[in-house]
Amino acid sequence: MMLARVADSLYWIGRYVERAEHLCRLSDVMLTATLDRTESATQIARIALAAVGDPDDAGKARNPYEAALALVLDREDPGSVASSLARARENARQVRDQITTETWERLNLIHLRMTDPRAPQAFADGSQAFLHDTIADLHLFKGAADATMSHGEGWRFLLLGVYLERAQLIGALLEVCFGDRNRRAINDHSALTGLLRMSCALEPYLRVYTADMQPTFILEFLLLDEDFPRSVRFCTARIEEHLSSLSRHVEAAGLSAPDRLAGRLRARLQYAEIGEVQASGSSAFLGAVLDECAAVHRQVYETFVAYTLEQRLPA
Amino acid sequence: MELGVAKDQASDRADETVASAGPYDEMRDAGGGVRPHYVALAERLQTLSADELAERQRTLERFFLLQGITFTVYGAESSTERIIPTDLLPRIIPAEEWKTIEAGLTQRLRALNMFLADIYSGQQILMDGVVPRDLVLMAPSYRREMQNLYVPHGAYANVCGSDLIRQPDGKFAVLEDNLRVPSGVSYMLANREASKRVFPGTFRGAGVRPIDRYPDLLLTTLKSMAADWRPNPQVVVLTPGVYNSAYFEHAYLARLMGVPLVEGRDLVVHDNMVYMRTTTGLRRIDIIYRRVDDDFIDPLTFRRDSGLGSAGLFNAYRAGNVVICNAPGTGVADDKAVYAYVPEIIRYYLGEDAILPNIETYLCREPAQLSHVLANLDKLVVKAVGASGGYGMLVGPHSTKAQQDEFATALRADPGNYIAQPTIQLSTAPCLIDHEIDARHVDLRPFILSGEKITVTPGALTRVALRKGSLVVNSSQGGGSKDTWVLTDRKDLQP
Repeated sequence: MMLARVADSLYWIGRYVERAEHLCRLSDVMLTATLDRTESATQIARIALAAVGDPDDAGKARNPYEAALALVLDREDPGSVASSLARARENARQVRDQITTETWERLNLIHLRMTDPRAPQAFADGSQAFLHDTIADLHLFKGAADATMSHGEGWRFLLLGVYLERAQLIGALLEVCFGDRNRRAINDHSALTGLLRMSCALEPYLRVYTADMQPTFILEFLLLDEDFPRSVRFCTARIEEHLSSLSRHVEAAGLSAPDRLAGRLRARLQYAEIGEVQASGSSAFLGAVLDECAAVHRQVYETFVAYTLEQRLPA
Repeated sequence: MELGVAKDQASDRADETVASAGPYDEMRDAGGGVRPHYVALAERLQTLSADELAERQRTLERFFLLQGITFTVYGAESSTERIIPTDLLPRIIPAEEWKTIEAGLTQRLRALNMFLADIYSGQQILMDGVVPRDLVLMAPSYRREMQNLYVPHGAYANVCGSDLIRQPDGKFAVLEDNLRVPSGVSYMLANREASKRVFPGTFRGAGVRPIDRYPDLLLTTLKSMAADWRPNPQVVVLTPGVYNSAYFEHAYLARLMGVPLVEGRDLVVHDNMVYMRTTTGLRRIDIIYRRVDDDFIDPLTFRRDSGLGSAGLFNAYRAGNVVICNAPGTGVADDKAVYAYVPEIIRYYLGEDAILPNIETYLCREPAQLSHVLANLDKLVVKAVGASGGYGMLVGPHSTKAQQDEFATALRADPGNYIAQPTIQLSTAPCLIDHEIDARHVDLRPFILSGEKITVTPGALTRVALRKGSLVVNSSQGGGSKDTWVLTDRKDLQP
């Protein structure tokens, strides 16, 4: 049993933290690419910016440093790393009684670093180091949550947020790279490794497919791999796992739960085959996955948070 | 709470003729020798360099920052978070003195609870003329809605934080009672956590009485207020929300008690039962430790514009389906005018003299006292009865003639609304200020719990006026706090 408002906050902490981590990684890859040839640097920056839904990806991609700086530290932009972390921390403050001190401290520390007046200077002095530290701290946050929080309802809401967000972020990134809209197929070697780095997938990919960089393999890996924690399939399996656990209590109260949608989503990915996905168009498949993620989100809300009182009042 | 501001001692010491009227020094006696209970700390401080002290101060501040024990300062451009200034050096109270404080506070709260039970039922004390009837019934904090309502154990003020000050003669006196929603207990607990980290060696040998049972005792107290037929009562802490300056404390207490922290929007009242919205539906609540003022708990009963409480909450309370702690209407017993009668109230109900004295208080409603106040406006502190937080206050020695005239007019127009007290020299304790140890004025806020029985936690929040010479300890006006060590009686220790 937990307060609906608290579950909502924990869920959003998970989403914001995951979003912040993903954005840090995109920025990092964008900046690292500028160290090499300029041509692919622009392409990588376009991929990253398009994946976060920036309408002016082509324009901003010409100056990856400025774009990355804004993506990370712009407090005016509600989608930036700093804003995401501020919201995660604000949510954590509202449920301070529900998360352990160890977990809170990690998140508070990251937030303090982001809002430190010296943060822009630190970013300018060594953006890679700054982003690397932030990502490492976010891993510590998740580790602290895993190691110190009870793996009960609250923790599951947190992870539900993490995995739903991750599935949607990776899905959006794949859509940019492999969707039908994308006229110029990505087959440049540095762009392909860039994509794997954005998903933190380079080393795990190499172990499965060796250094053979094939767009199809990469799509298959990021979409359908069973064990890689950032593949969409892996995320949907976790979403289903957490949701069905959360739903048990609701079902005990005689209400329908949203785990049917999550099960269908998981099955869609579990039984997909890369050849079929490509034959019928990657966009159609990715679109369906993203739509179902959004539907799961809506139903989580209707079931756990924003339910109408009429259904729940004692007779 | 506001204290009178005396002349700045630093600059005025030269023309102070009476040395004995100076403030009581917590650490040193009149001859300059270190008092026995401060010896261990004084010796420890001797061995620490200024750098080492500064390092410890940084450790302390980092602890508060990491824990998120901060308040937000809203600026024009952006808002920043600051920690509440916390002083490194503990304030120490010997066992013998604490016994008096404990007995005095227990006696006082017993009598005040009896007073509340009386004025909200038969009003015997008013009929006997011990306290003027209009003083109580006309007070804005008196709640007619509470009349003839059963409160278990007669415990109206379940959590009380009284402000004590030590007078120049070394005796503690009560400056103010806080029976509504007293705050600061989280700082008492957090200061202790921090000081254990900063002074582990000194702490270990000092025989400091532990205070970490407070959350446990609070929960026991709250549960003792539940109806007998609800065996496993659901307790919650009700907070105004994350923007309240005491939000950290609300979350802290909820976490340490292991109970949900709810906001008004989490509550639903249906058929005079109070529920909270959980992920699996509505769940009934039995006891609400509310950190929301009376005015805001129920828009149907009190202020209609309140968005902090829950509509119908008070009716559920009257129906006996939920307990609100502290009970609404307790504010009438810490009213500034009623305060003057507390020694009488203690004598009336308990037949005892007050163990902890009051500060001398002039009630301007009495013509003789009014004329005394008017003649001495430059020396006294005048306070409006209904106001708090330093509003509607005149600090005589620090006021201009124009301000005094303004107050004189107000006093004559509505004398019943004012009281006056002499400006009091608070005691001083050593503090670390700009890397040096210097004396600052302090007060003392212990916390008393009352349910089935009354318990005084052996510790307190010591508030510090960080500005040199200042007597104002409020955090909003440059006040800070420090850990307070209550020592174990050596006689109580096993040999």
